[in-house]
Amino acid sequence: MNDKERQFIIKKFASYYSEASFGIPYIENREFGIGNKKKIDARHLSFFNEDDFKRYLAQNTPLFVSHSIAYYEFPGATPIQKKQRTGADLVFDLDIHAEGKYGAYEKLDEVKADTIRLAKEFIIGDFAVKEEDVKIVFSGNRGYHIHVTDPRFRTLGGDERKEIVDYIKGNGLDYMQFFHEEEIGPRLKRLTGPKPDEDGYRGRLARALVRTLEEKPSLISRKFAKENERELFISGIKEGNWSKTTFRSSELLKRLGKVAESLPVRAVDTDAAVTHDMSKLIRVPNSIHGDTGLIAKIVDDIEKFEPFRDAVIPSSNTMKVQFLEDVPSFKFMDSTTETHKKDEQKELPEPLAVLYTLKGSATFI
Amino acid sequence: MDGPGELDFSLRYPFSSSAKALLESKGTQLSERLVELAMERIKQSLNGTLAKSSALHEEGKFEEITTFAVARMILGHLRNSYLINKFAVEESKRMHAYLNTEPEHVVNKVGAELGVEAQVDGNRFLMDIPVFLSYAPKSVHYRLINREISNGKVAVSKEERKRLMEEAARKRMEKIPLVRDPPDMIKKAGKELLELLPKPKLPSINAKPGDHPPCVDKLLEAVKKHQNLPHTARWFLATYMIAIGMSDEQIIAVYSNLPDYSERITKYQVEHARKKGYSVPSCATVSTYGLCVANCRVGIPINWHTRDVPKEESK
Repeated sequence: MNDKERQFIIKKFASYYSEASFGIPYIENREFGIGNKKKIDARHLSFFNEDDFKRYLAQNTPLFVSHSIAYYEFPGATPIQKKQRTGADLVFDLDIHAEGKYGAYEKLDEVKADTIRLAKEFIIGDFAVKEEDVKIVFSGNRGYHIHVTDPRFRTLGGDERKEIVDYIKGNGLDYMQFFHEEEIGPRLKRLTGPKPDEDGYRGRLARALVRTLEEKPSLISRKFAKENERELFISGIKEGNWSKTTFRSSELLKRLGKVAESLPVRAVDTDAAVTHDMSKLIRVPNSIHGDTGLIAKIVDDIEKFEPFRDAVIPSSNTMKVQFLEDVPSFKFMDSTTETHKKDEQKELPEPLAVLYTLKGSATFI
Repeated sequence: MDGPGELDFSLRYPFSSSAKALLESKGTQLSERLVELAMERIKQSLNGTLAKSSALHEEGKFEEITTFAVARMILGHLRNSYLINKFAVEESKRMHAYLNTEPEHVVNKVGAELGVEAQVDGNRFLMDIPVFLSYAPKSVHYRLINREISNGKVAVSKEERKRLMEEAARKRMEKIPLVRDPPDMIKKAGKELLELLPKPKLPSINAKPGDHPPCVDKLLEAVKKHQNLPHTARWFLATYMIAIGMSDEQIIAVYSNLPDYSERITKYQVEHARKKGYSVPSCATVSTYGLCVANCRVGIPINWHTRDVPKEESK
């Protein structure tokens, strides 16, 4: 990005920021970081309130801005021990790594599906967090963040947060513990197990098995292709009795492994460590992602949310660019972009021209 | 069934707010005798003989409650992590032993005191997930993922609830405020205690960061700080130390840093592990124990030593 492009883009960002609202909870207790060359060049910044923060953005307008997941007594103090942490949000970072600068865009729907499952099934379902304490945010590039502000989770330590990550990612799942065999008569045993209406992994496993039996019984056994055999088995599971089948218990439990693999939310990115490392900073919701020019938008209705339509800073201008490398097509606004070849020149809608330029794929002409 | 009166409750649970209030209301003068008794209490936790109270009379009971506070003064002056951890482990075990004899409402009262609240559900309890996470011992059995969860709560048995309370008590008693410039009696007692301490021994395993896989490093770090380790962690560490060629004596010396170290039991377990030829568990198993801390992709922690040094990812 050359100076002319930078000036143009910074002006666009500043104009967005002059109208933006953030609603950062406990803004006065957060540490902020800003970045221009990389995502965070400087941290340990702090602000009194949202107006103060907005003034800073209008005057300095960085490409990236993030805030701490933690709350501090003295957010601006250094070193970090002197900040005196009083708690932290529970934050999850979801994305899928893919080849190339644009590869992840094809998989954004998958990440969205995982984000919905994490929020609804795990956070609101299993952890009983109120919907108003769960904020889903588009990351501004290739994934989503979930911020949980439920005070019950605020004071958890790093190890406990790691246990939550393991829970969500399925690490350490030993579903055999969900079952036990009861002697109910001479040479007669009953396999007791989870019911579909239970919470947590127990219910999740039972529901996934019932679904598999109904949709693709052969994955478990050809036996269950027969409707009466299948229905009998399912009716038992609904009562927690897993013995209403001629299928051997030990064999059945072994085959559940395949079903169990589908239960966790795999898109949670643990490398970024934002969930369990409370010193981490996360992109400020409703700020702009400096690699794309897209808004890291707070999502109201995730089911209907389309990042490349709803997180675009609107503009009716077009701009002419020259491509610096080959670029694949992807869905953007209400259509699909063309593929472009290196050295090709093209007049494009401004948000798209800005995105290519920020990614280093094109230059203004 | 009645529970203990105020004095007996404080005697059994000297960390409680009622014990604190009792001490404050009575106001005691520090004396040689109290310091001596407090030293005795700390020594008992050092050699694992801390038992329930044998005080019969009001005066003796009150004195014993005071020794707990004086012991904390000595420990707050010394700031020795080995002593503090040992004290917290043994005092919380003592509490657990008392809980086993108490009627339900007393257990509830202690639970509320420790922030381990739970609601009754038939013959078990339902506990808020964050509370469960904060005090669950680190073992496979207590992993959240394999627990029965209902509406944001974890189901725990009566016994498990007491175990969680023990953990909460231990954590609470590990927090001892710094005592600056205490009376000479306390200083003198502190000196004497330090001489009783086993000299920390961390032979050959005392290595540079990166010599061992991150999971082992983290455990060794905990050992050095005299923190308590769950059984699975001890077992994993033992198989690892055997595999890298350490002798029984060296391994036992490492474990001697643990707050609940017993030479006899450790010796037996290490010898047993070696005789049985247990191999180092796979990374998947280590992860099941909740001990995996990085994603080093070596498959088995021991492979750390023969791994390809990862190349810088090209950008």
